[in-house]
Amino acid sequence: MIKAGQIDKGTALLIKGQPFVCIEREFVNPGKGSAFVRLKLKSPATGQVLSETMKSQDNAEDITVEDKDLQYLYNDGENFYFQNAETFDQIDVPMKSFPDYEYFMKEGETYRATFWEDQVLDIIIPSKIVFTVAEAEEAVKGDTVQGATKYVTTETGLRVRVPIFIKQGEKIRVNTETKEYLERVNS
Amino acid sequence: MYDFNAARKRSELLMNIRTHFISKGYLEVSTPTLSPYLIPEPTIKAFGTRFINEFEGCRDLYLIPSPEIFMKKLLAAGSGSIFQISQCFRNAEQLGDVHNPEFTMLEYYTAGADEKDSIGITIEMIEKTALKGIRAPWMDEKPLVITMHEAMMKYAGVDMDRAEDISYLRKEAVRLGLHPGDGESWDDTFNRIFLTYTEPSLPKDREVYLTQYPDRIRCLAKKDGDRPCRKRWEMYISGIEIANCYDEETDREETRKYFEEEEARLVRERQGTGDVIPPADPSFPSLDIPQSSGGAMGLDRLLAVHLGLNCIAPLLLFPLSDMLRPEKPETV
Repeated sequence: MIKAGQIDKGTALLIKGQPFVCIEREFVNPGKGSAFVRLKLKSPATGQVLSETMKSQDNAEDITVEDKDLQYLYNDGENFYFQNAETFDQIDVPMKSFPDYEYFMKEGETYRATFWEDQVLDIIIPSKIVFTVAEAEEAVKGDTVQGATKYVTTETGLRVRVPIFIKQGEKIRVNTETKEYLERVNS
Repeated sequence: MYDFNAARKRSELLMNIRTHFISKGYLEVSTPTLSPYLIPEPTIKAFGTRFINEFEGCRDLYLIPSPEIFMKKLLAAGSGSIFQISQCFRNAEQLGDVHNPEFTMLEYYTAGADEKDSIGITIEMIEKTALKGIRAPWMDEKPLVITMHEAMMKYAGVDMDRAEDISYLRKEAVRLGLHPGDGESWDDTFNRIFLTYTEPSLPKDREVYLTQYPDRIRCLAKKDGDRPCRKRWEMYISGIEIANCYDEETDREETRKYFEEEEARLVRERQGTGDVIPPADPSFPSLDIPQSSGGAMGLDRLLAVHLGLNCIAPLLLFPLSDMLRPEKPETV
């Protein structure tokens, strides 16, 4: 058991026998009232999101989870396929539980995943990832205004707005939270 | 790393607010942030520290959660309308989108006014002090004034006329799928419903003045006639609580009762927990506070909603969360 006030993003809880992971936690202290937390909890099995408001002092049933390193192999539109870096077991994770994650999954890269028993509760996306530009629009000729931008598509299909000097085949660093271009990476 | 553009916006907003209140005849005051006593507020945890003084003896001191205690002394001494922009401190609040344990508060007291006047005063102040060249969409919508009674009925289906009865309130909480604890206080059950259904449903596209707070939530606002509510409002923009306002209690007997009951509750709830127990200011209940209305506004939050943000951390040059938390892994 833990106090609701100790629940953080990423904390795994058991609700009516089903595991949920906290994806948003907002602390609310109503004027002249006790502290509460507003939680958004996601079921990794179904992608369903629950909203709960609990008093900070309320008890919640937390579960013991384990982090493992997984190497990303591929996806088939329904599942992501990983290989456990230690045991070489293949693990599939339903894509609907992790919407938009495909844009951050690079083949062969290792990602840290949170497990409860055999179930993947969470996959951790690093805050910055280096991508290769798979497709780049040609910069419009004569468009030399400073700060001019264009769109490129990464090898994972993520569309990113970049400065016009970025070319196909180059590497760029992207902020994965905002999906914004950070810098060109010289290889 | 440091957002100097945000720092400039903050400076502009603070300057505008100062200029506005001074032009309206308010006196700007500076009162202590470190105090040997506070107003007893069991729901607010204070930071305590120790004054080392080998000549007159050491004393426990507390960082103020708001400058209310000192500003009301000035009002009682005949200051007339006053305002202050100061740093305030609240302990035990988690670090969140709209919380930082140290924050900037505007506190403004208007002599002779009540809480209804303060709605007009606040709307005008926000309009007149807006940032140059930035006009958030909520500023173009007419502010909404809604009573707690109306809001609880509309968004939770709870009848506040019957809610004095805790068994009715508990039944309503259960009907709404909530789990009030056994022996839970009236305030906590009310807040479970309010925070789950009512507060998140308030319109987000304009200033919302939520008035007539329940009498059962104790505070130093006057009682509203014979109704079970107090002359108090809270103001929201974009779903974020921005300000709180009272028609200030002027009845010394009521103030004395509040101090006795709330201090007793504070001591009862904290004894043995290790939390600091700030002493209540013994002279406060004897103050002769004139008719006045006081507002307290979180300026970090006001700046955020002017800039279309729903969090304050990017507006603080040194948010505590950044100073305390390790960074996530950088890159694959």
